[in-house]
Amino acid sequence: MTDDNDTNETRTDGSGPGIVAPDDEVPTWRERKERTQGLSRLTYEYFERARREDQDLRQESSYVERDVLGFPTWPHELIRNLALTSFFVGMILFLSATLPPEMLDVADPSTTPAIILPDWYLYWSFGLLKLGPLNPELSLLGGEKMMADRTYGVVANIVVVGIIAMVPFLNKGSARRPVEQPFWAAVGVGGVVFAMTISALAVKNLVPIDTHLLFDLTFLLPIVAGTISYAVLKSMREGYMFDLNRRYYRLRPPK
Amino acid sequence: MADEFAKGLGIFTGAGLVWLVLAGWYNTPSFEGPQLTGANPSDPGTYEAIAIALKDGMFWFAVLGALTFWVIIPAARQLYASYEAE
Repeated sequence: MTDDNDTNETRTDGSGPGIVAPDDEVPTWRERKERTQGLSRLTYEYFERARREDQDLRQESSYVERDVLGFPTWPHELIRNLALTSFFVGMILFLSATLPPEMLDVADPSTTPAIILPDWYLYWSFGLLKLGPLNPELSLLGGEKMMADRTYGVVANIVVVGIIAMVPFLNKGSARRPVEQPFWAAVGVGGVVFAMTISALAVKNLVPIDTHLLFDLTFLLPIVAGTISYAVLKSMREGYMFDLNRRYYRLRPPK
Repeated sequence: MADEFAKGLGIFTGAGLVWLVLAGWYNTPSFEGPQLTGANPSDPGTYEAIAIALKDGMFWFAVLGALTFWVIIPAARQLYASYEAE
């Protein structure tokens, strides 16, 4: 064994190709020691203590730290809002000038119209009054129903509104995207579809579908839509960056 | 891609608004029956005939314009990009 094999490696005596000669900027061993004590040490401890106190204050407060930039109200926000407001006001004026609504006859309080319907946004409640086929005939009561169909419809309203009121307590809404919680997204899709189908059931005389088929579809379509959306969102979870929004909506965990 | 979407959306909404107004004038006999899809007036005057022709043109401009900018042009670009990649 000769020294010829070691010519490319750094030697323990300080010589060799890997050693860089010290220049003027390289601190000496004496300078390095001075930086870890005395005034430099005092300065370091001062700033470190200030930083720690600031961190403790921010963690104790309820202040929510966000990376989102804010913009001044004037002119940024107000110019945008004025543009949007002008557009919609102009659209209202244009449509009311070009397409004035028909002036119908005055309502006659002494005659009942042939078709009685609430406003369209109350069709869901009106449809819940038509759940008579679901009202069970109890054999304990000799095949009679425990409550009348109209009472059953009112109770169905209470049940549905109660379920809707419970959802915010069951799910806190911490997800930023439907993919993050596919089950609850599917519940929401099913609820929206049920609102549409129960509204269609309310006007079943006007819907060109067989009444019994419409009644079955009212309860089957929400389940089908919820299942499909659950499957789709579950398959979309692969590759989704769950930490993507955490950086922008950084909420402190509860203590 | 966003530019093409905005062009298609502008054509769709703008031409659709003109079609809506003209169809409301000439194809809505009453609010009790079919609205915007009623029959054309049987004996249109000169201005009515012009307006009805404009209404039909606006309808097809809305449909074909949106189809062009939302489907045809992006699909053509995809095809061209895949052709270039080979």
